[in-house]
Amino acid sequence: MGYLFDPQNWEWVTTGNNLRFLLEGFLVNLQIAVIAIVLSLAVGLLLALARLSRLKPLSLVAGVWVDVWRNLPLIFIILYLALALPAPWKDFYESIVPSFFPEALQSGRVFAGILGLVLYNSAVIAEIMRSGILSLDRGQGEAAASLGLSRTQQLRYVILPQGLRRMVPATVSQLITLNKDTTLVSIIAIQEVMRHGRILSSGFGAFTGSDVETPVLQVFIVIGLLFVLTNLALSRLSRRLEVRERKRTGGTAGPVMGVEDQTALALEAR
Amino acid sequence: MAELWEVLTEHFPELSSGFWVTVRLVAVSFVIAMAVGTAVAALRIAPAKPLNWVGGVFVELFRNTPLLVLLFISFAGLRRAGLPVNAWAAGTASLGLYTAAYVAEALRSGVFAVGKGQIEASLSLGLDYPRTMRYVILPQAFRTVIPHLGSLIIAMIKNSAIIGVSLLALDDLLHQARLVNSRTFQTDETFFWAAVGYLLLTGLTTLAVRRLEDRYAIHR
Repeated sequence: MGYLFDPQNWEWVTTGNNLRFLLEGFLVNLQIAVIAIVLSLAVGLLLALARLSRLKPLSLVAGVWVDVWRNLPLIFIILYLALALPAPWKDFYESIVPSFFPEALQSGRVFAGILGLVLYNSAVIAEIMRSGILSLDRGQGEAAASLGLSRTQQLRYVILPQGLRRMVPATVSQLITLNKDTTLVSIIAIQEVMRHGRILSSGFGAFTGSDVETPVLQVFIVIGLLFVLTNLALSRLSRRLEVRERKRTGGTAGPVMGVEDQTALALEAR
Repeated sequence: MAELWEVLTEHFPELSSGFWVTVRLVAVSFVIAMAVGTAVAALRIAPAKPLNWVGGVFVELFRNTPLLVLLFISFAGLRRAGLPVNAWAAGTASLGLYTAAYVAEALRSGVFAVGKGQIEASLSLGLDYPRTMRYVILPQAFRTVIPHLGSLIIAMIKNSAIIGVSLLALDDLLHQARLVNSRTFQTDETFFWAAVGYLLLTGLTTLAVRRLEDRYAIHR
């Protein structure tokens, strides 16, 4: 306990460039998160639609694809891709990545990280979206059909807006998980906040600008708090959206608990 | 194809020992998660504001911190602070407490689903608060949230892979696959069998939870 509350150790965190170094790393995490969130939502929607498609082979393939990726550990996927991704793919990434991106995102390894995050999260999000769409009353689609809307129009104007809106809380809780999971790319040596924390922990006195031995505990507590803050902000935002939505429509969204992942599994079972 | 089988037959001992380490990790962590999660849920719904607050802080802290950060805090961090933690204790405690926050949230929603009426009825029958929880509310709450607990176990199986890779002192399935790969360079084959291991675990758990659900779950 003495170690934890020793003011010297906390002071260390703000000594020299230490805190700045951590924040720079955290910024890389946020950037990876934003890229992965945008791609996962887009791919997730496509996968959900493919699964609901009337083309049997398409929905079957999409179903197997989704079930495989969402049941594998994300860290497994990232590690495998880092080892097995063909070099041309990484080169391709390096050639298209905008030059204003930070240096940590320029490396081809980042592609393996982002691809892993997207493969996993798009599968989970596809399940969430699909169960949202399935939870809609059949009558909605039928009514739209009887009004003369084509299948595409039904989806575009009637089913998707309602089905997806219902699943906003579950989707946000998955995005919070995604935000946390960006730390996993540190395993494949991408220079983000965990790596920066470890560099500080290896404790070169000259580098950290202090002669106190690096307080590893405090460094990682600070990193943890950075994530707590951003994730709380995200969940506040989603709660506010939900409340506004309820006021506007007067409807009740499905009850959502902050259960990680696979909220879909539970909703499906209902 | 031949190589695929070769990798399995040649490295079966390593991979299967990793598989069982993963199973044990998840089992121990699950016990921790259930015990702590139930306690935290009880705090969150207790009829005393400060207790609610303590429970709420626990949930928000552990739910919003990446598991990897928890692992670093509990292993490298505590060691530097002078506590001789071993990898098993750090790994299972991190995964257990991380999941406990989700268990607490699930249970709390289960208790709400049981409803205030039953709490009031039981209190008015003369049961005190702990007994009301123990005999009336929690048994129903657990049965209501079986599907959620199931998906949490599946999440735990997947999250357990982070432990071996980050602490490097625990030879779970993914870590063993990595070791085999570094010796053989047969990446595709090795990771294929590790994937089979994980899918087997998550798949079997899904089936088992479905059975439990069919028998015991209360649908509201």
